[in-house]
Amino acid sequence: MESPEPTHREINSMKFLLSNDYLALLTRTFVGLLFLVVSLEKIVEPAAFAQSIANYKIISPPLTTVLATILPWLELLCGFGVLFGIFRRGSSLLLSGMLIVFTAGVISALWRGLDIACGCFTQDPTVGKIGWMKVVQNVTLLALTVFLYYSSSVKFSIEHHLRTRSSE
Amino acid sequence: MSRLRTALREAGMLLLAATALGFIYTAAMEKGLFASRQPADTLSLPSSRNAPVMISRDQAKAYFDGGAALFIDSRHEFDYKLGHIKGAINLPVNEYNLKMGALVQLPREKLIVIYCDGADCNSSIELSARLFADGFLNVKIFFGGWDEWKAQNLPIEKSTR
Repeated sequence: MESPEPTHREINSMKFLLSNDYLALLTRTFVGLLFLVVSLEKIVEPAAFAQSIANYKIISPPLTTVLATILPWLELLCGFGVLFGIFRRGSSLLLSGMLIVFTAGVISALWRGLDIACGCFTQDPTVGKIGWMKVVQNVTLLALTVFLYYSSSVKFSIEHHLRTRSSE
Repeated sequence: MSRLRTALREAGMLLLAATALGFIYTAAMEKGLFASRQPADTLSLPSSRNAPVMISRDQAKAYFDGGAALFIDSRHEFDYKLGHIKGAINLPVNEYNLKMGALVQLPREKLIVIYCDGADCNSSIELSARLFADGFLNVKIFFGGWDEWKAQNLPIEKSTR
């Protein structure tokens, strides 16, 4: 007799996961550092990143340059945010949004048979060619950022620390 | 859901900060939208250091002995067939577009020696200018040409190439 509603046990395990400090810290460190590190190369070489974006043939210059100007800094700030626990919800929301757009871009490029580099981790056009592995990577990362959005753990979170401080 | 509202508010601020930082950084470092434009022609012009130079017969002979030079006879095919410097190919200047395909594979630093009849012939100079314009940076003009070469009984051949 299976009921379509989640059982008590299922809800509890989900709540457990979402409130688990250890899981949250692990995920925040991984996701935060990842986006922080990959953003650096894009920040110092916006022209190369603009070319990586243009290769998808979805957005045309000069819009690619505008994106290449803003996006890396967004990755940097959001990576910082989830890592240190500042603007956590906004950071994880934006990272999730970016990952959805990136994944859609990769799938679209694969569909059209483009043989291009992802431009995710490096701007070298010969490295990191798109493929279904890339899609799997992005979706996994998306699962992590969505988890962070709903995570209720506040351990080692600067904004929580500041909030509880001011209420004393 | 106040969580969503908080998230959207924070996201907006992050977006604003990223935009400001992005534009300030690229403007200060003159990258991206603010990169200074290099005039395209100054980057592709070969420097005049590599312009074709005239060489003497002795120098031409030295290059000939060295074996690395490509000798080009710029006279008409008729004269070329009657006799040319051994190993030279024929590329009359007025048939440049037609026959320069043979040179396309050559590296631009290839040593090339052009000659024609001699003192009363300018086709070697003309051809050298065409080759230089096409990016060949190691072109020599043996201005003494066929006359001087033959006068010293230096290696020649008559068969066509």
